[in-house]
Amino acid sequence: MDSRRLCVIKIGGSLLRDSKSYLESAQKIREVFIENGYKTIVVVSAVKGITDKLIQVAKGSQEALRYVSEKYLEIAKELNSVKIIRRVDEELKRLEIVASAISGGGIDLSLYDLLLSFGERISKILMVGALEAVGVSALELHANELIVTNETFSDASIDYISTSANLEKLYSSIIDNPAIPVIEGFIGSTIDGRITTLGRGGSDYTATTIASLLNIDAVYLVTDVDGIMTTDPDIVENARLVRVMSYRESLEAALHGAKKINPKAFEPLEKFYSSKLIIGSWSRFGTEIVREISRDLWGPKVIMNRESQGVSYIAIVGEGTSSIPFIRRVLEIIDRNGIDIVGIQSYVYRPSLLVYVTPSYELKILRLLHKELFEGV
Amino acid sequence: MIKRIKIVVIGFGSIGRALAKVIALKRKTINNKYGILIDVVGVVDSKGMALKADGFDEYELLKLCEVPRSGVNLFKPYAYQGVDLDVLYNSTQPDVHIELTPSEYSSGEPGISNIIYAINRGVHVVTANKAPLVLKYREIMSSALSKGVEIRFRATVLGGTPFIDTLMSLRSHDIERIEGILNATSNFILTEMHEKLVDFNEALRMAQALGVAEANPTLDVDGVDAAAKMVIISNILEKPLKIEEIYRESISRVTLRDIIDAVRQGYIIKSITFFDVRGGKASIKIVKIPKSDLFAQINGIMNGVRIRSDATEIVFIGRGGGGIETAHSILDDVISIALHYS
Ligand SMILES: NC(=O)c1ccc[n+]([C@@H]2O[C@H](COP(=O)([O-])OP(=O)(O)OC[C@H]3O[C@@H](n4cnc5c(N)ncnc54)[C@H](OP(=O)(O)O)[C@@H]3O)[C@@H](O)[C@H]2O)c1
Repeated sequence: MDSRRLCVIKIGGSLLRDSKSYLESAQKIREVFIENGYKTIVVVSAVKGITDKLIQVAKGSQEALRYVSEKYLEIAKELNSVKIIRRVDEELKRLEIVASAISGGGIDLSLYDLLLSFGERISKILMVGALEAVGVSALELHANELIVTNETFSDASIDYISTSANLEKLYSSIIDNPAIPVIEGFIGSTIDGRITTLGRGGSDYTATTIASLLNIDAVYLVTDVDGIMTTDPDIVENARLVRVMSYRESLEAALHGAKKINPKAFEPLEKFYSSKLIIGSWSRFGTEIVREISRDLWGPKVIMNRESQGVSYIAIVGEGTSSIPFIRRVLEIIDRNGIDIVGIQSYVYRPSLLVYVTPSYELKILRLLHKELFEGV
Repeated sequence: MIKRIKIVVIGFGSIGRALAKVIALKRKTINNKYGILIDVVGVVDSKGMALKADGFDEYELLKLCEVPRSGVNLFKPYAYQGVDLDVLYNSTQPDVHIELTPSEYSSGEPGISNIIYAINRGVHVVTANKAPLVLKYREIMSSALSKGVEIRFRATVLGGTPFIDTLMSLRSHDIERIEGILNATSNFILTEMHEKLVDFNEALRMAQALGVAEANPTLDVDGVDAAAKMVIISNILEKPLKIEEIYRESISRVTLRDIIDAVRQGYIIKSITFFDVRGGKASIKIVKIPKSDLFAQINGIMNGVRIRSDATEIVFIGRGGGGIETAHSILDDVISIALHYS
């Protein structure tokens, strides 16, 4: 198999709600990728909301446990495969055992991660069932056997060397087969086999790690929006899609809390192989994130209002936003409109400019800057 | 020249699946290294079989691991309802029979019948199931000898290490004493009790949650599993013990109070299996050992054994079980048989 025809697809939890959404994703994987001659490795998240429920289970909520069981069993039944129903049922029984051990006493961190892992693991079984239901042969991979991490439970980092050895061994034994491998995101395990989780948004990290360790060119992050927006469209109705960003820009945006991508996801891309990230929905893949962008693509990409330790600020992210001409331009726009600000912060080595503001001016400045910086021709 | 070895796997629970997975990942490398191509031609659980005379490929082996428990009979188009060794053997003509059914110490079944069946069909046996060896060691070995087939069982004691092979190879030694931590589950529970200061029941729940202990943990907790392993060792040393002769103490009677008292005095509590080979006596005891003792360092799911002979002392430390480790021991046994008979 030519690795250029191979890609990684991560299906975000926002897309996974019921049996219909699993089948829809499966059908899209078939139409968009397989029928166009691509082979894919699929990384799945848990069903929307399940991880939060599992956190409640860890705190002893029987109701949350019932919710998780009913949700997953319902999807399994609707997928209508004896195999999938029985598998999900087995996993749910194990989940109950783990839940009862946890509610017994003080929370052991390794048990906690084990408990959370059921959200993604069962989702993976369902995705394999959905792919098979639309006529695509698929194969379960197991993150706990492939993705090796350190012992930082709940926010583990991947041990790339061990993981790469595992991936290569597996890759060489299944690559000749047309079946689509499906793995759960967010999960890993320590070298001695205890399950860990990779932190919020950890599925992206799983996807980029697999892609970069196997030299795969493209990672599709599929969610319920068409891509990364210049700003929150609920605040600014003229927000638009960002077509291309660099790793540095999107990492900077992530550090300021743009919730799209877990910052750790960039590490393997920087270290091993610079796969392209393509973000969007099944109807449109609007944003590409690449290692570097050419000079003519420099400029502000994203603007957002944030709050940190009681201080409000507007972050403008993009290559060139920490340059003097850009800072001057921003200050002029603000000054021209007769608004006061609290301060600005920018470092020449970081692609961002922060404008500290009083909360009452926050949205006004955001809209103003978006209009002037992003909506011009 | 490539030699094909056809194997059938009887019992497809955690070890059977781990074995299928390891074979899927390693059969090409094993073939490159040793010229041996391992073909899994049949897989059996309590409800049915999956048969493919020319061997499941890597993908199929991994796919087999996705069937639910007792679900081998869902594996279309290779599925067969019910277990029938005649059908299995006649349609697949195996070279090696892998016995991975549960260890059941009152009757030894289905392990004993399955192994005898294999021997009578002239098929080599690799077993992780201890019960047949515990109850019928001599009968099995002598009929294997008369039929010219091999019985290998590295996976049965300290299954993640080559302990059994080493013990068998100490031919010039006079072995005087064997002692050690032979059961991973009870060692894990005791370690939890020490480290987290929780009582037996809570530690057991933790072990069950992590999959270290089974839903019914009595074989491990009450020392039956450790006793069974010592019976196998005693047979290798030709000083056979009977399992019911071995005195056993259960770790379920260890209280948190016992642990705290022991720790205060500089001791820790372990379940240790002793075999006085000369005296022909074995026991499983809950003992207090000093923190500096070698066995005090063997914690969690690790096992450790000390062999004392007239010439030397040898210590083995390693995983007692665990799917992947045990599967490798089974696979090593298969490769040894293949190399020996090629
Ligand atoms: N777990 C370890 O770490 C370890 C280490 C060393 C040795 N062992 C030994 O290895 C053996 C297998 O262990 P395991 O952990 O894999 O056990 P397991 O998960 O309970 O699996 C046992 C398998 O045997 C099948 N089985 C039961 N009765 C059968 C019959 N009459 N005919 C055919 N198949 C039958 C079961 O079928 P269903 O799936 O239909 O129930 C199941 O597939 C045991 O004897 C154990 O003592 C285990």
